[in-house]
Amino acid sequence: MVWNSQLSRLSCVIASLLVGLSFHSTLAQSVRVGAPAPDFKSTDSNGKPESLDEYHGKYVVLEWHNQGCPYTKKHYVSGNMQSLQKEWTAKGVVWLTVISSAPGEQGYVTASQENSYLSQMHAAPTAVLLDSDSKVARLYSAKTTPQMVVIDPAGKVIYDGAIDDRPTPDPEDIKGAKNYLNEALSAAMAGKPVPTPYTRPYGCSVKYAD
Amino acid sequence: MRYFRLFLALLVTLVPGVAARAASSSADVAHLHVQLVAPETTLSPGEPADVGLYFKLEPGWHVYWKNAGDSGEPPRIRWTLPDGISAGPIQFPAPKRLPLGPLMDFGYENEVLFPLTLSVAKSTKAGPAPLHAKVDWLVCREVCIPGKAELEIAATVADHPVKAVASAADVDLYKRLLSLVPEPLPASDRAVFAPTADGFRLALTTGQRESSGEFFPAEQNILSNPAPQAVTATATGLVLDLKKDPNMVAAPAQLAGVLELSGGRNYEIAAVPGVVAAAAPKADSTGLLRAVGLAFVGGLILNLMPCVFPVLFIKGLSLVQSSSEEKHKQRGHGLVYTAGIVVSFWVLVGVLLGLHAAGSTLGWGFQFQSPVFLALMASLLFFLGLSLAGQFEIGLTLTSAGGSLAQKQGYAGSFFTGVLAVIVATPCTAPFMGAAVGYALAQSAPVTFAIFTALALGLAAPYLLLTLQPAWTRLLPRPGAWMEVLKQATAVPIFGTVIWLVWVLAQTRGAEAVAALLATFLLLAIAGWVLGRWPARMVSGVAAGVVILAAVAACVYGVTAFAGPVAASSSASNPAGASRWEPWSQAAVDKYRAEGRPVFVDFTASWCLSCQVNERVALRTAQVDAAFKKANVALLKADWTERDDAIAQALTALGRSGVPAYALYASNTGDAPVLLPEALTPGIVVDALNKLPVAATASNP
Repeated sequence: MVWNSQLSRLSCVIASLLVGLSFHSTLAQSVRVGAPAPDFKSTDSNGKPESLDEYHGKYVVLEWHNQGCPYTKKHYVSGNMQSLQKEWTAKGVVWLTVISSAPGEQGYVTASQENSYLSQMHAAPTAVLLDSDSKVARLYSAKTTPQMVVIDPAGKVIYDGAIDDRPTPDPEDIKGAKNYLNEALSAAMAGKPVPTPYTRPYGCSVKYAD
Repeated sequence: MRYFRLFLALLVTLVPGVAARAASSSADVAHLHVQLVAPETTLSPGEPADVGLYFKLEPGWHVYWKNAGDSGEPPRIRWTLPDGISAGPIQFPAPKRLPLGPLMDFGYENEVLFPLTLSVAKSTKAGPAPLHAKVDWLVCREVCIPGKAELEIAATVADHPVKAVASAADVDLYKRLLSLVPEPLPASDRAVFAPTADGFRLALTTGQRESSGEFFPAEQNILSNPAPQAVTATATGLVLDLKKDPNMVAAPAQLAGVLELSGGRNYEIAAVPGVVAAAAPKADSTGLLRAVGLAFVGGLILNLMPCVFPVLFIKGLSLVQSSSEEKHKQRGHGLVYTAGIVVSFWVLVGVLLGLHAAGSTLGWGFQFQSPVFLALMASLLFFLGLSLAGQFEIGLTLTSAGGSLAQKQGYAGSFFTGVLAVIVATPCTAPFMGAAVGYALAQSAPVTFAIFTALALGLAAPYLLLTLQPAWTRLLPRPGAWMEVLKQATAVPIFGTVIWLVWVLAQTRGAEAVAALLATFLLLAIAGWVLGRWPARMVSGVAAGVVILAAVAACVYGVTAFAGPVAASSSASNPAGASRWEPWSQAAVDKYRAEGRPVFVDFTASWCLSCQVNERVALRTAQVDAAFKKANVALLKADWTERDDAIAQALTALGRSGVPAYALYASNTGDAPVLLPEALTPGIVVDALNKLPVAATASNP
């Protein structure tokens, strides 16, 4: 029958339109361990533009930072974070400290304030991203300071979560804690899967810009 | 001990935040007042005693629940107690959601009491009993400040009953705030959950309609904390749609936490996996429009489905017949045919909704699960086939002679064709229709009817358009003697449909029922012969009527009286690869997924022609079979030929209401299944298998 074939052609057109519509709306962004890390564009405390893409082929650590946060202080006053920075950057890891506090919020710093903090603390990240509009934090759904993200040379997120397994502000708890960052980087560099790829990050909430 | 204390005190001063050292029962520190509360400070050996940790907070500051959410930490308490006294864990009152930009914390503002129970051993010595506690907490507004305090209650153990109340204020405080601790879920209530595409659906049955509810997960990293929780009130409780944490590692065996309902009712729940009624997506206008659109397209495509195909012949015939008539009459036919379809859909939906309201779990195509319906349907089509083949004229005999009746008979015929189209169409779920029907049946009655009306109009649309635009009918040949031939030829597909219905009945009811049905056919053939031999006579009409009634009675009796269902025989005779298909059960799905295997479920029924076609052209082909083997997929067949509440519920949980439905579960138990379209090709199945997560095939030995 003539109208039959016309009808089927028409239904095909309508059908493909509807299928197209229904798939379009399901695209949502969120960082997933095992998925490609989203690229970002930011500026560091020396005014240099930074992006994730430029470090392709290297391990990258993102460390969310707020110098006023007691949990961040735990790892800086004790020197724990600085020694991690030195240890891993010496092995070729790119360490990006990310400050996502909005202006007026705890942890917000200007470039010069941050640079004097770095020298005073003897901190040794590769660079510090000044993310005062919280763009990078939103891309990575960052929740707390400190929160650690590890990206492998292929650009894949291989760890997202806490720095260690002692969610306290007490520097005494650093000794004997299981350091998830060390665990993830050591395993990945040895070609093994990361044993604990995702934990609940602890600390102060990231002070997001509105 | 003293040195240790001193050391601790030193430590405390090293840590940022403010600490209180005094051995008092309360402390006022940064942004809060913290206090140990004891309704009774005289303890009796062998009797448990209540104490509580109380915080009074400055406005805007908060402390945290046991799962603090995206940031924060719950308070901790470490006791130093006299011999014989030990402290239980602190209990957490129901928290509040505390939004913080894109983050969400769970905690308490203003004031909170964490109660706990001390057990006092029978051997405890009488005398002073200092209850000493080291408490630490995190208090936050925009910024967070960790705090510590050492608190002490000067209690006494008395070996004779003494009622010495500590302070009226403590008692009041304790009484007032104790009720905020969630209670265990009453035994009569039930909480179950089921995975969805992006999280979980949690259903609570309390026996009454619950219009509001908030769930707080006890476990971290299971749910997305800030995601809104859509509440759907049901007749006996509520359903919450929860979004999972995108990084959730393993699906939880149970969903434990606190559920807060209206009126300050808080329950500690541990939902177990189970079947949760369909999504019931909010009947917002876009969802409704989409469902209506899908239903209309589904109705259009339904015209091309194998079960409706025979009716197409009848429709084509009536179209050619009417092409000789005037324009307005053709339009009349088109409208009456549409009315026939719409009214039959309404009747079907009305019956289905009525049965649902009565607690039945029937789905779309439910009438084909009744052997009586199947037999009557087969008899009706057989009788119609006889008429079309030329044994007798329905019009001439069943409506007696008269001037304008030919026309009326024409309209009645159009209406009847519409009804017939719907009846045979229901066992087919056309592409797009499954989602629309599943959505429709989960909505309020007006929405359900709107969607089914769209489906009906879609089914009627092609014919209706042709009659409304008669110019198009010029494409069809002119009426003539060939029409009689075409009419008789139409009997062929109708008899084909009869064969199919008899086959379905034979599968579920056995040879005796088939014999009874064939006897019915014989009686119908006799009735047809009477009507054809002596047309247009009252006597023959009456005689035929009697025979038809006898036929119907024989048919109903034969089908119901003979032979119980012959279960499981249907799958035994299936062709190649059939042996690898096992009968479906939820337990089997869970078992194979726990073993790390993906699972494919074929929801089918022998009365569902689309299902048979899909099985032949896609599922049972060598190409698909090889793909199934390669991905180590467990194959399960859910046969819905007869009524089965478990299958009906499983379909509902998938958001469907009828067969065919094809669900592919990844081995990762947390993921919701992928639903394949209602019309399958080998390519569609293989593509879906290729999209399975890698982990699914990794465990393949």
